[in-house]
Amino acid sequence: METNEKVSLLTRIKRNVTLGKVLTYVFLAIGALVMVWPFYWMISSAFKTQLEIVSFPPAFVPNSWAYLENFKIAFVKAPFAKYFFNSIVVTIACVACTTFTTILASFAFSRLNFKGRDLIFSLLLSFMMVPFEMVAMTNTTTITQFGLNNSLLGLIVPFTTSIYYTFILRNFFVSIPDSLYYSARIDGASNWQYLWKIMVPIAKPSLFTIILLNALTCWNSFFWPRIIITSAENRTLPFGLYAFMSEGGTEYGPYMAAATIVVVPMIALFLVARKYIVNGVARGGLKG
Amino acid sequence: MKIKIEHLTKRFGNFTAVDDFSTTFEDGELIALLGPSGCGKSTMLNMLSGILPVTEGKIYFDDDDVTDVSPDKRGVGLVFQNYALYPHMTVLQNICFPLEIQKMPKEERIAKAKEMAKLVHVDEFLDRKPGQLSGGQQQRVAIARALVKKPRLLLLDEPLSNLDARLRLEMREEIRRIQQETGITTVFVTHDQEEAMSISDHIVLMKLGVKQQYAEPQELYNDPANNFVADFLGNPPINKIFGVAKGGNFELEDGSASFPFELCSKVAEGTKVTLGIRAESAYPVATAEEAAFVGEVSSTYAMGKEELGYIKIGNQEFRAYIASELGYKKGDAINVGFKDRGVFLFVTETGERVR
Ligand SMILES: Nc1ncnc2c1ncn2[C@@H]1O[C@H](COP(=O)(O)OP(=O)(O)OP(=O)(O)O)[C@@H](O)[C@H]1O
Ligand SMILES: [Mg+2]
Repeated sequence: METNEKVSLLTRIKRNVTLGKVLTYVFLAIGALVMVWPFYWMISSAFKTQLEIVSFPPAFVPNSWAYLENFKIAFVKAPFAKYFFNSIVVTIACVACTTFTTILASFAFSRLNFKGRDLIFSLLLSFMMVPFEMVAMTNTTTITQFGLNNSLLGLIVPFTTSIYYTFILRNFFVSIPDSLYYSARIDGASNWQYLWKIMVPIAKPSLFTIILLNALTCWNSFFWPRIIITSAENRTLPFGLYAFMSEGGTEYGPYMAAATIVVVPMIALFLVARKYIVNGVARGGLKG
Repeated sequence: MKIKIEHLTKRFGNFTAVDDFSTTFEDGELIALLGPSGCGKSTMLNMLSGILPVTEGKIYFDDDDVTDVSPDKRGVGLVFQNYALYPHMTVLQNICFPLEIQKMPKEERIAKAKEMAKLVHVDEFLDRKPGQLSGGQQQRVAIARALVKKPRLLLLDEPLSNLDARLRLEMREEIRRIQQETGITTVFVTHDQEEAMSISDHIVLMKLGVKQQYAEPQELYNDPANNFVADFLGNPPINKIFGVAKGGNFELEDGSASFPFELCSKVAEGTKVTLGIRAESAYPVATAEEAAFVGEVSSTYAMGKEELGYIKIGNQEFRAYIASELGYKKGDAINVGFKDRGVFLFVTETGERVR
């Protein structure tokens, strides 16, 4: 009896493991390795001595993960702590503002009836076709006129709205049944209360995704700070890293340490938030 | 609360969904809004709740004109056909929501919500999300949420249509019980005549946005205002024989039979008329003198003590109950008598009742 079951299990496994599947997994594994390898190499090199880095054959694992000299050098040679702080401020401010304006705009474009709503919305969508490099030129002029050149505010103000995220969230809002809106209105809720007590909580998974993507974009932003920021104390991490590499010495280790400082917070954020996104998507489905 | 509706009209573009509707719903009654699909029932309900603006006419709650009052200020409770529970909130949070909006202190509103949950028998599920409830449970939560703020008017839009037959019967009684316990004026939409007949105090029957009759269920059945009302109510459906009024006689359309029928003298000679006969209102009598007319049995079906038989007059047929012990067989001549109740004459073209 028992052996019979084992046999049938074995044959079942054999039947399921087709050549196609094997190939798929091999390709996926290679893909994952190709993606992860540079990150691993960067992070591990940050913990290696200069000797280890240049040695041949290369060492795959640093001698000691407690070797922090490279980080110390990076922090001494350039104000990475300040860069880090700037990045945090700019990212939080941008994400908070963008999320807020996105929620309000999505509500207006999905729930409120005003003249020309759909026309305005399609007009906005068509603006997404304009490349950022073009907008950057006019933005530079505007920011200069505001006197926000070379300031953190100058990094924040142009990124407090997003057509793309509004588009995503509006589409989600549209999918929420009208009857919920009318129910809430009859329960005595105003539009404002309906938005914050019903719509936003239901849209949590979408909002999480938007916030995460937005945080990533803000954190990695390089092009715009390079145009606007002229003094070292206002640099954000990616720009700071770039400057460090062009100004700093020839040692490889401190670069890798600096790059690790830039990347690790986002990786951590993703690892933490991934669970919420998956959970949210699984639970957030609307029934009936 | 008494609800007065005056000349209420709703147009969507050129299409008139509700047409010049006037009526009064008495305080504390359970009123059924009955009619076929697309006749404007939901539209009526949505205008009462304030979701839909009216095109013309007025709505009064007691003596207040609420025609232009927004839904959050009307103090009504509404249960949607799909219940529209808030999916991210638990049952308790759902029921609390209207009170939360009123800024009632937390402990007080939880106490009230629990009390309401008990009334509709969902107090076991307070911590569940709507997605984890059956249709019937969801509906009761929706009713609790609508009732918890003590609305002046409760509106239910086809609340039973998502349920299976057994649960539907159960919930029907439940709604009646809750309505009587709370005494809240309730308007409930249905297209199921039996549902409307069984629990409501009054029924409004609608057709294509026009009110056909407003009456008590039994009156609607016994004394229909027109052909449509007579047609819509009753199971088996009312029999109809088509003919012409000729010299106080009802003559079949093709002239194949004719018999005296008093009401036929009340319409112009030659008017096309329809005779409506409820199955239980035509019965076999002993002699031709007592009979309204003489027909022929065309078939019979055993149904326990009684038999449902088809009787032929001229070349039209109708259904009637025939006691089985009388032993009628196919092809027998049968003297058919009419009861006083359940036999109506309508003008064929307009559907208007001849009295
Ligand atoms: N927003 C709208 N725009 C145009 N026509 C509408 C609109 N809402 C309803 N109608 C029309 O008005 C008529 C009445 O609709 P309503 O929803 O009140 O019907 P109902 O009696 O509730 O039907 P059902 O039993 O199928 O729910 C229908 O013919 C419908 O097509
Ligand atoms: Mg409807």
